Amino acid sequence: MMDLLAFTLCIAAFGALALAMERHQQAVFDVLLPRSRTRLLRAAGWLGLLLALWVLVAHRGWALGLVHYSGQTSLAAGLVHVALIWRERRRTARR
Amino acid sequence: MKSTAKSTVTPRNVIDNHSDIAARVRGIRQTMSDLHTWAGLLVGWILYAMFLTGTVSYFKDEISQWMRPELAHQLEVPDPAAAAQRVADTLATVAAGSPLWGMEMPTDRHNVVSAFWRTVGAPPGKRTFDSGTFDPATGQKVAARETHGGEFFYRFHFQFHYMPVLWGRWLAGFCAMFMLVAIVSGVITHKKIFVDFFTFRWGKGQRSWLDAHNALSVFGLPFHLMITYTGLVTLMAMYMPWGQQAAFKTPAERQQLTAQLNASPPPGKPSGIPAKLAPIDDMVRQAQARWGQHNISRVTIAHAGDASARVTVLRGEAARVSMSPQYLVFDGATGKLLETRDSVGPAAEVRGVMYALHLGRFSDLQLRWLYFIVSLAGTAMVGTGLVMWTVKRRQKLPDPERPYFGFWLVERLNIAAIAGLSVAMTAMLWGNRLLPAELAARGAWEIHLFFIAWAATLLVALMRPAKKAWIELLWLGAALLALLPVLNALTTDRGLWGSVADGDWVFAGFDLMMWALAALHAMLALRTARHRPRTKPARRTRASSATASTAAATSTATLSEDRA
Repeated sequence: MMDLLAFTLCIAAFGALALAMERHQQAVFDVLLPRSRTRLLRAAGWLGLLLALWVLVAHRGWALGLVHYSGQTSLAAGLVHVALIWRERRRTARR
Repeated sequence: MKSTAKSTVTPRNVIDNHSDIAARVRGIRQTMSDLHTWAGLLVGWILYAMFLTGTVSYFKDEISQWMRPELAHQLEVPDPAAAAQRVADTLATVAAGSPLWGMEMPTDRHNVVSAFWRTVGAPPGKRTFDSGTFDPATGQKVAARETHGGEFFYRFHFQFHYMPVLWGRWLAGFCAMFMLVAIVSGVITHKKIFVDFFTFRWGKGQRSWLDAHNALSVFGLPFHLMITYTGLVTLMAMYMPWGQQAAFKTPAERQQLTAQLNASPPPGKPSGIPAKLAPIDDMVRQAQARWGQHNISRVTIAHAGDASARVTVLRGEAARVSMSPQYLVFDGATGKLLETRDSVGPAAEVRGVMYALHLGRFSDLQLRWLYFIVSLAGTAMVGTGLVMWTVKRRQKLPDPERPYFGFWLVERLNIAAIAGLSVAMTAMLWGNRLLPAELAARGAWEIHLFFIAWAATLLVALMRPAKKAWIELLWLGAALLALLPVLNALTTDRGLWGSVADGDWVFAGFDLMMWALAALHAMLALRTARHRPRTKPARRTRASSATASTAAATSTATLSEDRA
């Protein structure tokens, strides 16, 4: 359960980090977000990653927590990446 | 592998030490890029095989179960105390007179007792250990086909086959060293590691390959670094024994070192006075009281039947990110507890942690899958890197139909190393179901079949046009994978429906995994077949939408290309 929570946090965090990048703002929203919003997203992303780390370490201790964290972040980043690619492909297909 | 084609259009007045620094920095990056390319290429084919066989080894116990279909689905884990006693009784006749027996206890994933014993009077140069698998419920040798099971993939991934074990390990270490070099130089080369973090440019030839390669590398970077480094450390003492030899000079000191690292104390000399072995199950129960019912990994018995017999019960690795040995030693004749080892020195503990991290044996199912998926991404990282070498150079070929020898060789070896390995690994599983049970050295023949199939794919890769060879071998791999569950249902009574009905998720999961992998290979084959080399501007192909798994991401990344 805690793992699922941490994993969801990781996905949300990487999503926020991706949306804090100009390339993906353009791709997802068609416009660039205001500076303040971008900064907020980036902060939220990093905070989410830290929070996930805290959840896992609190739940499993440092040793197992870090191992799980490394696996979960890799998988979450991969999923966000796939989602971005998929979205991009659908947009170009529609045009 | 970053291209450095960025031209420096700098206003004249700014050209001072700025561009000077820039040039120097680019120099380093270019050097690193070359290092990355060639370090990667030189050992890439072996690394790919090490990565893929290592990846499936996270499920080696499950593969072993599948390769012994005669053993019924294990409903509950047998009590290690009772199992140890039963197998020890059998060993008393099977391995009579052997100075050392070891028994790996069954776990929820491992449904047999694997035992080994030192053989006496073996001529020098011959193997000094014999081994067998035993049924924990009866203590007798298991009535199953002879096979090495998933153990073969595991062994292959760090010591290969058909060569002395030491050579294999040296070769594996050499490749791992190059891998480490490739990772570090890759990170330095890829300066925009964070800017490009989620970038994937679809259908752009070499660019797409590069993006895929970067994504696969960067997302799993902590894992790739960890697995390469810990992999090296597990074999470190073999590569560089000099430190140890210099630090520990006397035999007594060396014995101390061995005691710190090994899972059982060095056995003493037999007394020559016969004495009956005290009940083993009582000893194991004492260990269970200390560590938990199923947290026993191995029972070792030295000099059974002698008054100086010693029984060592080793703790399991569950939920403990370390493989530093913890054990109890009993007097085998009286059953008295002699020694308790609950901790080792810090250096040995560090080594234990490195081992555990690499092997992931402490993992529950969920973490095991994480290891598997990220490790699969690592395999794809090596694979995309290999293919990229040809993609990048194909554009520059004067005549793509007649490449120069180096290009031809790399391309063909890529085909055999990547598509061929899938065929070979699956062929071994086919062999497991089809080779007659009474065949002599059947287990060895399964392995021979693996290499025969691999050699055959190399032959195909060398004889056929490159693109045709890719497509044909990928389709062959897909077909072999897809039909394996069918073959399983026809040759055993453990077909998919039965497994699902029984709640046997090892067999059901295995069958489903084969189909998932078959789909992956079919997708790769389709994409390769549809690919047109870029003579006109890149055509957009409608891709089958990616499913939400990293494995599929891997595939789409790999798939999306070959179009440079």
